[in-house]
Amino acid sequence: MVAVKIEGNRWEGFKGFLRDLLGEGAVGAVVVPYPVPAGDSFAHLLVKEPSRVDHAWPVAPVMTVQGGRVVSRLTRKGPVEVPTVVVLRPCELAAMRELIKLNQVKPQGLLTVSFDCPGAYPLRSYLEGNGEEIKAAFLNALKDFRLAGARPLCQVCIRFTGAWADIEVGFLGAPQGSFYLIAHTPQGEKALEALGYTGQEDLAEREKAVEELTASRVSEREAYFREEFGPQVAGPEALLATFHNCINCHNCMRVCPICFCRECFFESNALKVAPHNYLMRARRKGGLRFMPDTLLFHTGRMNHMSLSCVSCGACEDACPNAVPVSRLFAMVGDRTRAIFQYEPGRDLEEPIPFLDYREEELQEWEEPYIQSTTHCPSSL
Amino acid sequence: MSEPFEPKIVGFLCYWCSYTAADLAGVSRMKYPPNLRVIRVMCSSRVDPVFIIKALLDGADGVLVAGCHPGDCHYQKGNYYARRKVALTKKILESLGLGPERVKLSWIAASEGPKFAQVAKEFTEEIRRLGPNPARAEIFL
Ligand code: SF4
Ligand code: SF4
Ligand code: SF4
Ligand code: FES
Repeated sequence: MVAVKIEGNRWEGFKGFLRDLLGEGAVGAVVVPYPVPAGDSFAHLLVKEPSRVDHAWPVAPVMTVQGGRVVSRLTRKGPVEVPTVVVLRPCELAAMRELIKLNQVKPQGLLTVSFDCPGAYPLRSYLEGNGEEIKAAFLNALKDFRLAGARPLCQVCIRFTGAWADIEVGFLGAPQGSFYLIAHTPQGEKALEALGYTGQEDLAEREKAVEELTASRVSEREAYFREEFGPQVAGPEALLATFHNCINCHNCMRVCPICFCRECFFESNALKVAPHNYLMRARRKGGLRFMPDTLLFHTGRMNHMSLSCVSCGACEDACPNAVPVSRLFAMVGDRTRAIFQYEPGRDLEEPIPFLDYREEELQEWEEPYIQSTTHCPSSL
Repeated sequence: MSEPFEPKIVGFLCYWCSYTAADLAGVSRMKYPPNLRVIRVMCSSRVDPVFIIKALLDGADGVLVAGCHPGDCHYQKGNYYARRKVALTKKILESLGLGPERVKLSWIAASEGPKFAQVAKEFTEEIRRLGPNPARAEIFL
Protein backbone atom coordinates (compact mmCIF):
# COMPACT_ATOMS: atom_id res chain seq x y z
CA MET A 1 0.00 0.00 0.00
CA VAL A 2 1.16 3.51 -0.79
CA ALA A 3 -0.05 6.36 1.38
CA VAL A 4 1.51 9.79 1.36
CA LYS A 5 0.87 13.09 3.06
CA ILE A 6 0.82 16.13 0.78
CA GLU A 7 1.53 19.48 2.41
CA GLY A 8 -0.17 22.64 1.24
CA ASN A 9 -3.55 23.95 0.32
CA ARG A 10 -5.97 21.02 -0.06
CA TRP A 11 -7.85 22.46 -2.95
CA GLU A 12 -4.80 23.39 -5.02
CA GLY A 13 -3.09 20.18 -3.98
CA PHE A 14 -5.94 18.01 -5.22
CA LYS A 15 -5.99 19.78 -8.57
CA GLY A 16 -2.23 19.72 -8.76
CA PHE A 17 -2.25 15.98 -8.27
CA LEU A 18 -4.71 15.53 -11.15
CA ARG A 19 -2.75 17.90 -13.36
CA ASP A 20 0.46 16.02 -12.65
CA LEU A 21 -1.17 12.67 -13.47
CA LEU A 22 -2.15 14.05 -16.86
CA GLY A 23 0.96 16.14 -17.40
CA GLU A 24 3.43 13.38 -16.53
CA GLY A 25 1.64 11.04 -18.88
CA ALA A 26 0.53 8.60 -16.18
CA VAL A 27 -2.94 8.89 -17.72
CA GLY A 28 -4.26 10.24 -21.00
CA ALA A 29 -7.42 11.96 -19.84
CA VAL A 30 -9.26 13.10 -16.73
CA VAL A 31 -13.00 13.22 -16.14
CA VAL A 32 -13.72 15.86 -13.54
CA PRO A 33 -16.50 18.32 -12.58
CA TYR A 34 -15.96 21.69 -14.18
CA PRO A 35 -17.72 25.04 -13.90
CA VAL A 36 -19.79 25.81 -16.98
CA PRO A 37 -18.80 29.01 -18.82
CA ALA A 38 -21.55 31.10 -17.23
CA GLY A 39 -20.05 30.08 -13.89
CA ASP A 40 -23.34 29.21 -12.27
CA SER A 41 -23.32 25.46 -12.53
CA PHE A 42 -21.10 22.45 -13.11
CA ALA A 43 -20.70 19.68 -15.65
CA HIS A 44 -18.33 16.77 -15.98
CA LEU A 45 -15.58 17.46 -18.46
CA LEU A 46 -13.40 14.91 -20.22
CA VAL A 47 -10.12 16.81 -20.08
CA LYS A 48 -7.16 16.15 -22.35
CA GLU A 49 -5.17 19.36 -21.88
CA PRO A 50 -3.36 19.45 -18.49
CA SER A 51 -3.65 23.21 -17.96
CA ARG A 52 -7.44 22.87 -18.13
CA VAL A 53 -7.34 20.94 -14.89
CA ASP A 54 -6.42 24.17 -13.08
CA HIS A 55 -9.99 25.36 -13.46
CA ALA A 56 -11.66 22.10 -12.48
CA TRP A 57 -13.66 21.61 -9.30
CA PRO A 58 -12.84 18.03 -8.34
CA VAL A 59 -15.16 18.42 -5.38
CA ALA A 60 -18.15 20.34 -6.71
CA PRO A 61 -20.75 22.01 -4.51
CA VAL A 62 -23.60 20.36 -6.45
CA MET A 63 -24.17 17.10 -8.24
CA THR A 64 -25.66 17.96 -11.61
CA VAL A 65 -25.24 14.62 -13.37
CA GLN A 66 -24.52 11.48 -11.36
CA GLY A 67 -20.94 10.51 -12.14
CA GLY A 68 -21.88 6.83 -12.38
CA ARG A 69 -23.99 7.72 -15.38
CA VAL A 70 -21.14 9.71 -16.87
CA VAL A 71 -18.79 6.74 -16.71
CA SER A 72 -21.49 4.47 -18.06
CA ARG A 73 -21.94 6.70 -21.09
CA LEU A 74 -18.21 7.02 -21.59
CA THR A 75 -17.68 3.25 -21.75
CA ARG A 76 -20.97 2.02 -23.13
CA LYS A 77 -19.45 0.93 -26.43
CA GLY A 78 -16.27 -0.44 -24.93
CA PRO A 79 -13.42 0.34 -22.55
CA VAL A 80 -11.38 3.54 -22.85
CA GLU A 81 -8.29 3.27 -25.06
CA VAL A 82 -6.05 5.47 -22.94
CA PRO A 83 -5.83 5.29 -19.16
CA THR A 84 -8.39 7.75 -17.86
CA VAL A 85 -8.84 9.18 -14.39
CA VAL A 86 -12.42 9.57 -13.21
CA VAL A 87 -12.96 11.78 -10.19
CA LEU A 88 -16.10 10.68 -8.41
CA ARG A 89 -17.94 11.37 -5.20
CA PRO A 90 -18.18 8.24 -3.03
CA CYS A 91 -21.83 7.66 -3.98
CA GLU A 92 -20.98 8.14 -7.65
CA LEU A 93 -18.19 5.61 -7.29
CA ALA A 94 -20.57 3.17 -5.58
CA ALA A 95 -22.98 3.58 -8.49
CA MET A 96 -20.18 3.04 -10.98
CA ARG A 97 -19.14 -0.16 -9.21
CA GLU A 98 -22.72 -1.35 -9.14
CA LEU A 99 -22.90 -0.64 -12.86
CA ILE A 100 -19.76 -2.70 -13.45
CA LYS A 101 -21.60 -5.65 -11.91
CA LEU A 102 -24.57 -4.92 -14.14
CA ASN A 103 -22.37 -4.79 -17.26
CA GLN A 104 -23.09 -1.12 -17.82
CA VAL A 105 -19.56 0.14 -17.21
CA LYS A 106 -16.39 -1.29 -18.72
CA PRO A 107 -13.81 -0.58 -16.02
CA GLN A 108 -10.63 -1.47 -17.95
CA GLY A 109 -8.32 1.49 -18.20
CA LEU A 110 -10.20 3.62 -15.70
CA LEU A 111 -8.41 4.93 -12.65
CA THR A 112 -10.90 5.99 -10.02
CA VAL A 113 -10.15 8.86 -7.66
CA SER A 114 -12.53 9.63 -4.82
CA PHE A 115 -12.39 11.74 -1.70
CA ASP A 116 -13.89 12.57 1.68
CA CYS A 117 -17.10 14.16 0.50
CA PRO A 118 -18.43 17.08 2.53
CA GLY A 119 -21.82 16.71 0.82
CA ALA A 120 -23.54 18.70 -1.87
CA TYR A 121 -26.10 21.48 -1.88
CA PRO A 122 -29.57 20.87 -3.27
CA LEU A 123 -29.32 21.82 -6.91
CA ARG A 124 -32.16 24.28 -6.73
CA SER A 125 -30.95 26.16 -3.67
CA TYR A 126 -27.57 26.44 -5.34
CA LEU A 127 -28.92 27.71 -8.64
CA GLU A 128 -31.13 30.23 -6.87
CA GLY A 129 -28.54 31.37 -4.37
CA ASN A 130 -25.49 33.59 -4.62
CA GLY A 131 -23.03 31.35 -6.42
CA GLU A 132 -19.85 33.06 -5.22
CA GLU A 133 -20.84 33.06 -1.56
CA ILE A 134 -21.94 29.46 -1.76
CA LYS A 135 -18.73 28.38 -3.46
CA ALA A 136 -16.68 30.05 -0.74
CA ALA A 137 -18.69 28.38 2.01
CA PHE A 138 -18.29 25.10 0.23
CA LEU A 139 -14.51 25.33 -0.01
CA ASN A 140 -14.45 26.10 3.66
CA ALA A 141 -16.26 22.83 4.34
CA LEU A 142 -13.24 20.95 2.99
CA LYS A 143 -11.49 22.12 6.15
CA ASP A 144 -14.00 21.35 8.86
CA PHE A 145 -16.25 18.91 7.01
CA ARG A 146 -19.42 20.68 8.07
CA LEU A 147 -21.61 21.77 5.19
CA ALA A 148 -24.56 23.80 6.43
CA GLY A 149 -27.49 23.44 4.06
CA ALA A 150 -26.29 20.21 2.48
CA ARG A 151 -28.91 17.90 0.98
CA PRO A 152 -30.70 15.89 3.66
CA LEU A 153 -29.24 12.60 2.46
CA CYS A 154 -25.72 14.03 2.47
CA GLN A 155 -26.18 14.95 6.11
CA VAL A 156 -26.78 11.31 6.99
CA CYS A 157 -24.39 9.79 4.45
CA ILE A 158 -22.49 6.86 5.88
CA ARG A 159 -20.12 6.10 2.96
CA PHE A 160 -18.45 9.45 2.65
CA THR A 161 -14.84 8.42 1.92
CA GLY A 162 -13.11 7.32 -1.25
CA ALA A 163 -12.08 3.99 0.26
CA TRP A 164 -13.41 2.05 -2.75
CA ALA A 165 -11.38 4.04 -5.28
CA ASP A 166 -8.01 3.19 -6.78
CA ILE A 167 -6.76 6.38 -5.17
CA GLU A 168 -8.38 7.95 -2.16
CA VAL A 169 -7.93 11.62 -1.34
CA GLY A 170 -8.23 11.92 2.42
CA PHE A 171 -8.91 15.17 4.29
CA LEU A 172 -10.27 13.80 7.55
CA GLY A 173 -7.69 13.23 10.22
CA ALA A 174 -4.97 15.06 8.26
CA PRO A 175 -3.39 18.11 9.91
CA GLN A 176 -4.80 21.38 8.55
CA GLY A 177 -2.93 22.42 5.45
CA SER A 178 -2.30 18.85 4.33
CA PHE A 179 -4.11 15.84 2.95
CA TYR A 180 -3.44 12.20 2.14
CA LEU A 181 -3.19 10.30 -1.10
CA ILE A 182 -3.87 6.64 -0.47
CA ALA A 183 -3.63 3.91 -3.11
CA HIS A 184 -5.97 0.96 -2.60
CA THR A 185 -5.15 -1.07 -5.70
CA PRO A 186 -2.06 -1.97 -7.76
CA GLN A 187 -3.19 0.51 -10.45
CA GLY A 188 -3.46 3.20 -7.82
CA GLU A 189 0.01 2.41 -6.52
CA LYS A 190 1.46 2.48 -10.00
CA ALA A 191 -0.03 5.89 -10.66
CA LEU A 192 1.29 7.32 -7.38
CA GLU A 193 4.69 5.82 -7.98
CA ALA A 194 4.77 7.34 -11.47
CA LEU A 195 4.57 10.72 -9.73
CA GLY A 196 7.35 9.73 -7.38
CA TYR A 197 5.14 9.05 -4.37
CA THR A 198 6.19 6.09 -2.32
CA GLY A 199 6.05 5.14 1.31
CA GLN A 200 3.48 4.39 3.88
CA GLU A 201 2.25 7.29 5.96
CA ASP A 202 0.78 6.46 9.35
CA LEU A 203 -2.99 6.75 8.93
CA ALA A 204 -4.09 5.95 12.48
CA GLU A 205 -5.43 9.47 13.12
CA ARG A 206 -7.35 9.39 9.90
CA GLU A 207 -8.83 5.98 10.54
CA LYS A 208 -9.99 7.13 13.94
CA ALA A 209 -11.61 10.26 12.54
CA VAL A 210 -13.40 8.29 9.82
CA GLU A 211 -14.59 5.69 12.27
CA GLU A 212 -16.00 8.30 14.66
CA LEU A 213 -17.83 10.21 11.96
CA THR A 214 -19.18 6.97 10.49
CA ALA A 215 -20.51 5.83 13.84
CA SER A 216 -22.31 9.08 14.50
CA ARG A 217 -23.69 9.23 10.96
CA VAL A 218 -24.97 5.66 11.19
CA SER A 219 -27.01 6.43 14.27
CA GLU A 220 -28.17 9.81 12.93
CA ARG A 221 -29.30 8.18 9.72
CA GLU A 222 -31.18 5.46 11.50
CA ALA A 223 -32.85 7.95 13.81
CA TYR A 224 -33.71 10.29 10.93
CA PHE A 225 -35.54 7.58 9.03
CA ARG A 226 -37.15 6.04 12.09
CA GLU A 227 -38.23 9.14 13.98
CA GLU A 228 -38.36 12.05 11.61
CA PHE A 229 -38.73 11.15 7.97
CA GLY A 230 -40.33 7.70 8.29
CA PRO A 231 -43.43 8.85 10.18
CA GLN A 232 -43.93 11.66 7.63
CA VAL A 233 -44.20 9.25 4.74
CA ALA A 234 -45.32 5.85 6.03
CA GLY A 235 -48.90 4.68 5.97
CA PRO A 236 -51.40 4.97 3.13
CA GLU A 237 -52.42 8.55 3.83
CA ALA A 238 -48.99 9.95 4.54
CA LEU A 239 -47.52 8.19 1.54
CA LEU A 240 -50.22 9.51 -0.76
CA ALA A 241 -49.70 12.99 0.60
CA THR A 242 -46.00 12.61 -0.14
CA PHE A 243 -46.76 11.82 -3.76
CA HIS A 244 -49.65 14.22 -4.25
CA ASN A 245 -47.31 16.64 -6.00
CA CYS A 246 -45.80 13.99 -8.20
CA ILE A 247 -46.60 14.60 -11.86
CA ASN A 248 -45.32 11.17 -12.87
CA CYS A 249 -42.73 12.72 -15.17
CA HIS A 250 -40.17 9.98 -14.46
CA ASN A 251 -37.32 12.46 -14.17
CA CYS A 252 -36.26 10.71 -10.98
CA MET A 253 -35.84 7.47 -12.91
CA ARG A 254 -34.03 9.05 -15.85
CA VAL A 255 -31.31 10.65 -13.76
CA CYS A 256 -30.81 7.62 -11.53
CA PRO A 257 -27.53 5.86 -12.23
CA ILE A 258 -29.01 2.51 -11.29
CA CYS A 259 -32.06 2.76 -13.56
CA PHE A 260 -30.11 1.95 -16.69
CA CYS A 261 -32.80 -0.07 -18.51
CA ARG A 262 -32.98 0.91 -22.17
CA GLU A 263 -36.73 0.80 -21.90
CA CYS A 264 -38.17 1.26 -18.47
CA PHE A 265 -41.06 -1.08 -17.69
CA PHE A 266 -43.04 1.89 -16.42
CA GLU A 267 -42.75 3.61 -19.78
CA SER A 268 -43.47 0.49 -21.77
CA ASN A 269 -46.69 -0.48 -23.48
CA ALA A 270 -47.40 -2.88 -20.62
CA LEU A 271 -48.92 0.02 -18.71
CA LYS A 272 -50.56 1.75 -21.65
CA VAL A 273 -53.92 0.13 -21.86
CA ALA A 274 -57.14 0.59 -23.82
CA PRO A 275 -59.66 3.18 -22.63
CA HIS A 276 -62.05 0.54 -21.36
CA ASN A 277 -59.40 -0.60 -18.88
CA TYR A 278 -59.11 2.91 -17.44
CA LEU A 279 -62.88 3.21 -17.38
CA MET A 280 -63.19 -0.09 -15.56
CA ARG A 281 -60.73 1.05 -12.93
CA ALA A 282 -62.53 4.38 -12.62
CA ARG A 283 -65.83 2.58 -12.20
CA ARG A 284 -64.45 0.35 -9.48
CA LYS A 285 -63.11 3.23 -7.42
CA GLY A 286 -65.38 5.99 -8.55
CA GLY A 287 -62.55 7.80 -10.33
CA LEU A 288 -59.03 7.42 -11.61
CA ARG A 289 -56.23 9.92 -11.40
CA PHE A 290 -54.27 10.79 -14.53
CA MET A 291 -51.48 10.20 -15.19
CA PRO A 292 -52.32 6.81 -13.76
CA ASP A 293 -50.03 4.42 -11.87
CA THR A 294 -47.99 7.00 -10.00
CA LEU A 295 -47.61 4.95 -6.85
CA LEU A 296 -47.09 1.82 -8.92
CA PHE A 297 -44.18 3.53 -10.63
CA HIS A 298 -42.50 4.44 -7.37
CA THR A 299 -43.13 1.25 -5.43
CA GLY A 300 -42.43 -0.86 -8.51
CA ARG A 301 -39.19 0.96 -9.06
CA MET A 302 -38.27 0.33 -5.43
CA ASN A 303 -38.70 -3.36 -6.12
CA HIS A 304 -36.49 -3.18 -9.16
CA MET A 305 -33.60 -1.18 -7.82
CA SER A 306 -33.75 -0.20 -4.16
CA LEU A 307 -31.18 -2.91 -3.36
CA SER A 308 -28.68 -1.08 -5.55
CA CYS A 309 -29.72 2.49 -4.66
CA VAL A 310 -26.62 4.36 -3.54
CA SER A 311 -28.48 7.16 -1.73
CA CYS A 312 -26.93 9.74 -4.03
CA GLY A 313 -29.89 12.12 -4.06
CA ALA A 314 -29.79 12.69 -7.83
CA CYS A 315 -33.48 11.80 -8.18
CA GLU A 316 -34.55 14.33 -5.58
CA ASP A 317 -32.44 17.04 -7.19
CA ALA A 318 -34.13 16.31 -10.51
CA CYS A 319 -37.69 16.32 -9.20
CA PRO A 320 -39.52 19.44 -10.37
CA ASN A 321 -42.05 19.21 -7.56
CA ALA A 322 -40.01 18.69 -4.42
CA VAL A 323 -41.03 15.09 -3.79
CA PRO A 324 -38.53 13.68 -1.24
CA VAL A 325 -37.95 10.78 -3.55
CA SER A 326 -34.30 10.03 -2.77
CA ARG A 327 -34.99 9.92 0.94
CA LEU A 328 -37.82 7.47 0.35
CA PHE A 329 -35.61 5.26 -1.77
CA ALA A 330 -32.74 5.50 0.68
CA MET A 331 -34.96 4.67 3.65
CA VAL A 332 -36.60 1.73 1.92
CA GLY A 333 -33.28 0.65 0.42
CA ASP A 334 -31.60 0.58 3.83
CA ARG A 335 -34.26 -1.87 4.92
CA THR A 336 -34.39 -4.07 1.82
CA ARG A 337 -30.60 -4.29 1.74
CA ALA A 338 -30.55 -5.33 5.39
CA ILE A 339 -32.44 -8.53 4.49
CA PHE A 340 -29.48 -9.62 2.39
CA GLN A 341 -26.71 -7.73 4.23
CA TYR A 342 -26.03 -6.21 0.83
CA GLU A 343 -24.25 -2.99 0.14
CA PRO A 344 -24.13 -1.55 -3.35
CA GLY A 345 -20.63 -1.02 -4.68
CA ARG A 346 -18.90 -2.71 -1.77
CA ASP A 347 -17.54 -5.76 -3.53
CA LEU A 348 -17.36 -6.38 -7.26
CA GLU A 349 -17.54 -10.14 -6.66
CA GLU A 350 -20.65 -9.93 -4.49
CA PRO A 351 -23.68 -10.81 -6.65
CA ILE A 352 -26.72 -8.58 -6.67
CA PRO A 353 -29.23 -10.34 -4.39
CA PHE A 354 -31.68 -10.92 -7.24
CA LEU A 355 -29.09 -13.10 -8.96
CA ASP A 356 -28.29 -15.21 -5.95
CA TYR A 357 -30.00 -17.38 -3.33
CA ARG A 358 -29.38 -19.77 -0.48
CA GLU A 359 -31.38 -22.93 -0.16
CA GLU A 360 -31.92 -22.29 3.53
CA GLU A 361 -32.88 -18.68 4.11
CA LEU A 362 -35.72 -16.23 4.57
CA GLN A 363 -38.00 -18.81 6.15
CA GLU A 364 -39.58 -16.02 8.14
CA TRP A 365 -41.07 -14.66 4.90
CA GLU A 366 -42.95 -17.86 4.10
CA GLU A 367 -46.44 -18.67 5.37
CA PRO A 368 -45.94 -18.61 9.14
CA TYR A 369 -49.66 -18.92 9.76
CA ILE A 370 -50.12 -22.45 8.58
CA GLN A 371 -47.96 -24.38 11.02
CA SER A 372 -50.17 -23.96 14.06
CA THR A 373 -53.36 -25.07 12.39
CA THR A 374 -52.32 -27.96 10.19
CA HIS A 375 -53.13 -30.36 13.00
CA CYS A 376 -56.58 -31.77 13.10
CA PRO A 377 -58.15 -30.02 16.12
CA SER A 378 -59.61 -33.29 17.36
CA SER A 379 -56.13 -34.79 17.72
CA LEU A 380 -55.09 -32.18 20.30
CA MET B 1 -75.02 0.02 6.04
CA SER B 2 -72.82 -1.27 3.28
CA GLU B 3 -72.55 -4.91 2.31
CA PRO B 4 -70.46 -7.21 4.50
CA PHE B 5 -66.81 -7.34 3.51
CA GLU B 6 -65.88 -10.16 1.17
CA PRO B 7 -62.13 -10.21 0.57
CA LYS B 8 -60.85 -10.31 -2.97
CA ILE B 9 -57.61 -12.20 -3.18
CA VAL B 10 -55.39 -12.69 -6.20
CA GLY B 11 -53.47 -15.95 -6.24
CA PHE B 12 -50.47 -16.47 -8.49
CA LEU B 13 -50.04 -20.22 -8.63
CA CYS B 14 -47.24 -22.03 -10.35
CA TYR B 15 -48.32 -24.38 -13.09
CA TRP B 16 -46.33 -27.40 -11.99
CA CYS B 17 -47.32 -27.58 -8.33
CA SER B 18 -49.70 -25.19 -6.70
CA TYR B 19 -52.04 -24.82 -9.67
CA THR B 20 -52.23 -28.59 -9.94
CA ALA B 21 -52.97 -28.73 -6.22
CA ALA B 22 -55.78 -26.22 -6.70
CA ASP B 23 -57.10 -28.35 -9.51
CA LEU B 24 -56.90 -31.41 -7.32
CA ALA B 25 -58.74 -29.65 -4.53
CA GLY B 26 -61.42 -28.79 -7.07
CA VAL B 27 -61.90 -32.25 -8.53
CA SER B 28 -61.80 -33.77 -5.04
CA ARG B 29 -64.66 -31.40 -4.16
CA MET B 30 -62.80 -29.95 -1.22
CA LYS B 31 -64.39 -26.90 0.25
CA TYR B 32 -62.53 -23.63 0.09
CA PRO B 33 -63.72 -20.05 -0.08
CA PRO B 34 -64.39 -18.52 -3.49
CA ASN B 35 -62.46 -15.36 -2.61
CA LEU B 36 -59.26 -16.46 -4.30
CA ARG B 37 -58.98 -15.49 -7.97
CA VAL B 38 -56.38 -17.73 -9.49
CA ILE B 39 -53.84 -16.65 -12.08
CA ARG B 40 -51.66 -19.42 -13.41
CA VAL B 41 -47.98 -18.68 -13.95
CA MET B 42 -45.37 -21.08 -15.23
CA CYS B 43 -43.23 -20.72 -12.10
CA SER B 44 -43.41 -18.71 -8.88
CA SER B 45 -40.35 -16.83 -10.13
CA ARG B 46 -42.45 -15.46 -12.98
CA VAL B 47 -44.20 -13.21 -10.50
CA ASP B 48 -42.59 -9.83 -10.96
CA PRO B 49 -43.08 -7.90 -7.71
CA VAL B 50 -44.80 -5.29 -9.84
CA PHE B 51 -47.68 -7.78 -10.35
CA ILE B 52 -48.17 -7.98 -6.61
CA ILE B 53 -48.09 -4.23 -6.14
CA LYS B 54 -50.35 -3.64 -9.12
CA ALA B 55 -52.92 -6.04 -7.70
CA LEU B 56 -52.81 -4.34 -4.30
CA LEU B 57 -53.00 -0.82 -5.70
CA ASP B 58 -55.91 -1.79 -7.92
CA GLY B 59 -57.77 -2.87 -4.81
CA ALA B 60 -57.06 -6.56 -4.21
CA ASP B 61 -57.28 -7.23 -0.47
CA GLY B 62 -54.59 -9.87 -0.53
CA VAL B 63 -52.10 -11.53 -2.85
CA LEU B 64 -50.98 -15.13 -2.59
CA VAL B 65 -47.89 -16.38 -4.37
CA ALA B 66 -47.61 -20.15 -4.31
CA GLY B 67 -45.16 -22.53 -5.89
CA CYS B 68 -43.39 -25.84 -5.56
CA HIS B 69 -41.61 -26.60 -2.29
CA PRO B 70 -37.98 -25.41 -2.11
CA GLY B 71 -35.89 -27.97 -3.92
CA ASP B 72 -38.84 -29.08 -6.07
CA CYS B 73 -39.14 -26.22 -8.57
CA HIS B 74 -39.59 -27.55 -12.09
CA TYR B 75 -36.92 -25.08 -13.16
CA GLN B 76 -34.68 -26.05 -10.20
CA LYS B 77 -34.21 -22.67 -8.55
CA GLY B 78 -37.14 -20.48 -9.55
CA ASN B 79 -38.79 -20.58 -6.17
CA TYR B 80 -35.56 -19.58 -4.41
CA TYR B 81 -35.56 -16.42 -6.49
CA ALA B 82 -39.28 -15.99 -5.90
CA ARG B 83 -38.73 -16.13 -2.16
CA ARG B 84 -36.16 -13.33 -2.39
CA LYS B 85 -38.48 -11.22 -4.49
CA VAL B 86 -41.46 -11.69 -2.21
CA ALA B 87 -39.37 -10.96 0.89
CA LEU B 88 -38.23 -7.74 -0.77
CA THR B 89 -41.76 -6.72 -1.72
CA LYS B 90 -43.06 -7.37 1.78
CA LYS B 91 -40.19 -5.38 3.26
CA ILE B 92 -41.01 -2.45 0.98
CA LEU B 93 -44.69 -2.61 1.93
CA GLU B 94 -43.69 -2.78 5.58
CA SER B 95 -41.34 0.21 5.28
CA LEU B 96 -44.08 2.27 3.65
CA GLY B 97 -46.75 1.15 6.10
CA LEU B 98 -48.76 -0.51 3.34
CA GLY B 99 -49.72 -3.76 5.00
CA PRO B 100 -47.12 -6.44 4.22
CA GLU B 101 -49.42 -9.01 5.79
CA ARG B 102 -51.61 -8.76 2.70
CA VAL B 103 -48.98 -10.71 0.77
CA LYS B 104 -48.36 -14.41 1.41
CA LEU B 105 -45.84 -16.81 0.05
CA SER B 106 -46.69 -20.47 0.29
CA TRP B 107 -45.28 -23.76 -0.98
CA ILE B 108 -47.95 -26.20 -2.13
CA ALA B 109 -46.98 -29.40 -3.92
CA ALA B 110 -49.03 -30.89 -6.75
CA SER B 111 -50.41 -33.60 -4.49
CA GLU B 112 -51.36 -31.21 -1.68
CA GLY B 113 -54.94 -30.46 -2.60
CA PRO B 114 -55.95 -30.30 1.08
CA LYS B 115 -53.11 -27.92 1.86
CA PHE B 116 -54.22 -25.66 -0.97
CA ALA B 117 -57.76 -25.60 0.39
CA GLN B 118 -56.44 -24.84 3.83
CA VAL B 119 -54.13 -22.05 2.69
CA ALA B 120 -57.00 -20.49 0.75
CA LYS B 121 -59.24 -20.71 3.76
CA GLU B 122 -56.79 -19.38 6.30
CA PHE B 123 -55.56 -16.56 4.12
CA THR B 124 -59.12 -15.49 3.38
CA GLU B 125 -59.88 -15.43 7.10
CA GLU B 126 -56.71 -13.55 7.82
CA ILE B 127 -57.62 -10.92 5.24
CA ARG B 128 -61.15 -10.76 6.52
CA ARG B 129 -59.76 -9.86 9.92
CA LEU B 130 -57.54 -7.19 8.37
CA GLY B 131 -60.50 -5.62 6.61
CA PRO B 132 -60.66 -4.04 3.17
CA ASN B 133 -57.50 -2.79 1.53
CA PRO B 134 -57.54 1.00 1.91
CA ALA B 135 -56.34 1.27 -1.72
CA ARG B 136 -59.72 -0.08 -2.85
CA ALA B 137 -61.35 3.30 -2.76
CA GLU B 138 -58.29 5.45 -3.25
CA ILE B 139 -58.41 7.40 -6.47
CA PHE B 140 -55.20 9.39 -6.23
CA LEU B 141 -52.75 6.56 -6.53
S1 SF4 C 1 -32.90 6.11 -6.51
FE1 SF4 C 1 -32.21 8.24 -6.29
S2 SF4 C 1 -30.81 8.16 -4.52
FE2 SF4 C 1 -31.05 6.05 -5.24
S3 SF4 C 1 -29.37 5.70 -6.70
FE3 SF4 C 1 -31.16 6.39 -7.90
S4 SF4 C 1 -30.90 8.61 -8.07
FE4 SF4 C 1 -29.54 7.93 -6.40
S1 SF4 D 1 -37.83 1.45 -12.80
FE1 SF4 D 1 -37.27 -0.66 -13.23
S2 SF4 D 1 -37.66 -0.96 -15.43
FE2 SF4 D 1 -37.58 1.26 -15.03
S3 SF4 D 1 -35.47 1.83 -15.46
FE3 SF4 D 1 -35.63 1.45 -13.23
S4 SF4 D 1 -35.05 -0.69 -12.98
FE4 SF4 D 1 -35.51 -0.38 -15.16
S1 SF4 E 1 -41.14 12.08 -7.95
FE1 SF4 E 1 -40.71 14.03 -9.01
S2 SF4 E 1 -39.27 13.48 -10.66
FE2 SF4 E 1 -40.23 11.57 -9.95
S3 SF4 E 1 -41.99 11.27 -11.32
FE3 SF4 E 1 -42.73 12.38 -9.52
S4 SF4 E 1 -42.61 14.54 -10.09
FE4 SF4 E 1 -41.34 13.43 -11.57
S1 FES F 1 -42.11 -24.42 -11.24
FE1 FES F 1 -43.21 -24.34 -9.37
S2 FES F 1 -42.08 -22.83 -8.31
FE2 FES F 1 -40.89 -23.02 -10.11
